[in-house]
Amino acid sequence: MKAVKNLDAIFNPKSIAVIGASRDINSVGYGILKNIVRGCVFESEHCRPFKGRVYAVNPNATEILKIASYPKITDITDDVDLAVIAVPAKIVPAVMKDCVNKGVKAIIVISAGFAELGKEGKKLQDDIKEIAEKAKIPLMGPNCLGIIRPSASINASFAPSTPPEGNIAFISQSGAIADSIIDWAIEHMFGFSTVVSYGNKAMLDATDFLEWLAKDEETKAIAIYMEGIDDGKRFMEVAEKVSKIKPIVVLKAGRTEKGTKAISSHTGSLAGSYEVYKAAFKQTNVILADTIEDLFDISKALANQPACKDGNIAIVTNGGGCGVLAADYCAELGLNVVELKKSTISKLDKTGKMHPAYSRSNPLDIVGDALPDRYYAAIDTLLNENYISGLIVIQTLQTMTNPEEDANDIIELSKKYPGKPIICAYMGGRFSKRGRYILESKGIPDFNDIKKAAKAMWALVERGRILKK
Amino acid sequence: MYNSKMQLFDFNKTINLLDKYKIHYPKSKIAKTLEQAKKFAKEIRFPVVLKIISKDIVHKSDFGGVKANIKDEDELVSAYEGIVKSVKKKLPRAKIEGILVQKMEQGTEVIIGMKNDPQFGPVLMFGLGGIFVEVLKDISFRVAPINVHEAEEMVNEIKGSKILKGARGEKPVKISALVDLLMKVSKLSIENKKIVELDLNPVFVDEKSAKVVDVRIMVE
Repeated sequence: MKAVKNLDAIFNPKSIAVIGASRDINSVGYGILKNIVRGCVFESEHCRPFKGRVYAVNPNATEILKIASYPKITDITDDVDLAVIAVPAKIVPAVMKDCVNKGVKAIIVISAGFAELGKEGKKLQDDIKEIAEKAKIPLMGPNCLGIIRPSASINASFAPSTPPEGNIAFISQSGAIADSIIDWAIEHMFGFSTVVSYGNKAMLDATDFLEWLAKDEETKAIAIYMEGIDDGKRFMEVAEKVSKIKPIVVLKAGRTEKGTKAISSHTGSLAGSYEVYKAAFKQTNVILADTIEDLFDISKALANQPACKDGNIAIVTNGGGCGVLAADYCAELGLNVVELKKSTISKLDKTGKMHPAYSRSNPLDIVGDALPDRYYAAIDTLLNENYISGLIVIQTLQTMTNPEEDANDIIELSKKYPGKPIICAYMGGRFSKRGRYILESKGIPDFNDIKKAAKAMWALVERGRILKK
Repeated sequence: MYNSKMQLFDFNKTINLLDKYKIHYPKSKIAKTLEQAKKFAKEIRFPVVLKIISKDIVHKSDFGGVKANIKDEDELVSAYEGIVKSVKKKLPRAKIEGILVQKMEQGTEVIIGMKNDPQFGPVLMFGLGGIFVEVLKDISFRVAPINVHEAEEMVNEIKGSKILKGARGEKPVKISALVDLLMKVSKLSIENKKIVELDLNPVFVDEKSAKVVDVRIMVE
């Protein structure tokens, strides 16, 4: 049963057939074909047409979106790696048998109308699972969104569009969350290596995608939205291995338990399912996120910055209030806002760049009129100290502030100290945006919120702790 | 979810199982009569605890089935009769197998438990006993099997671990004894898949040892 785990044809197909491709622009079958052929439905600069061969399968059409349409998949003469099925649920088994006869290497069933509908649907789902298992073909779905791989120019899904290319893989049990995240990602320039939405998990579960993505060179961090997993033990085995190679962050839904339970023992009533998941994540070094935003904030930091070797953090700011808040949030998260040594203060003094009234302690308030050279001197001096392992840089916009030059300096200094993570909090909006864009394009995570910056640093410290185990 | 096939594991089998995994259970004997109870109490030595033993009773104290800190024979007589009367009144159809006479133990109360989770298998729980576990839900979990490091984390992770380490001038308890007990429960849970739930509640821990005082195993 477990032999069918080669997912290469799902992640890197050379040819794709869309069964149930349609000329009706409001149909799922049309959307999928358009995503493959054009790279997206809602157009943006990130849309890339699929470079391999594409086939439409629809007995009532000869051509859709300028792609030749065949009555059945078996009518296609060339090889087909991946079959994407979007036909009514009840004919999916027959279509899958055709796919098996054709010799496809993987199948994605987009169609809904399976286990989510109850008993009868479950039966239908078991049927298609059996067909796939017998033929030893990996089956993704049913009732799923599909897969998107921006860097490989693959959008075999009915998502509205294609997100920017990046180094974070997103595995989502929910299709709708993935849809919204893609729209959000385009607006916020948030890049993905892969977006997978696996639906009813008849055969392939989050664990299988996690296992494949561990080997994917494009992917530096893996973010998962999970409602539940069928084989918790296998997830733990795989997650333990994968988390040694790259960070895994999970947002788990279903934290509260409704309904009554017969209470037969203390442990029975106290061991709610979320508690068990939390324990499993902790034991396998999976980092737990709190909200959707948190999931991607943490993933962004982990994918782009080095792990922090311990919890010793320094904060540089040109605004006192933001510094105090940052120190509070860091302390609440268990980070150590280190006391600056006298030698460090004298080094700062010697740069000749400090304001007479600068704070001379951590958080290092370099005063509101700080120009780029003062930021540079402060960051350089602090990162050069062995006892400081990570840095949060806060910038508030004042009349003389230069967000762009500050950003370029931070990028330069991050290269000078490659082992030490930097997280930025450019506070503001319209006028700091340009600096923010420069930072993020070079892999320095920037947050317009100090608590988020502290949480991102916490995740890097956590990652450091995991790697030391 | 409520599972109708789940039932309380027989008392003697439970004690044998604990013994097999070298989980120490206090000196105790099941008395069928008051005379026997008196005899056992003398053998074990006062103070003792009396507990109802019945397959039909999962929550003994809810039905007046437990009397603790019995110091002499007079107290034993009234405790024995009290238990029988209370149980017969509250649960007239319960089949009473006997009254357990057990040595009275003391220490800080903790609870160690296990629940067999449908997705993850046996999951271990640790917490301070009484109000801490029931009201404050100050508990930690790990999926079994666990290693020593994880067992230590379970103990250290709860907010109440400061109490175990000797808050307000108290002597710190023997944490290694709790870790050892957690490891044994982990092994027992992994090797006995029929166990659906297990409670060692309470476990009394002091500076020298951890003693399981009551145990409840639910099997399928």
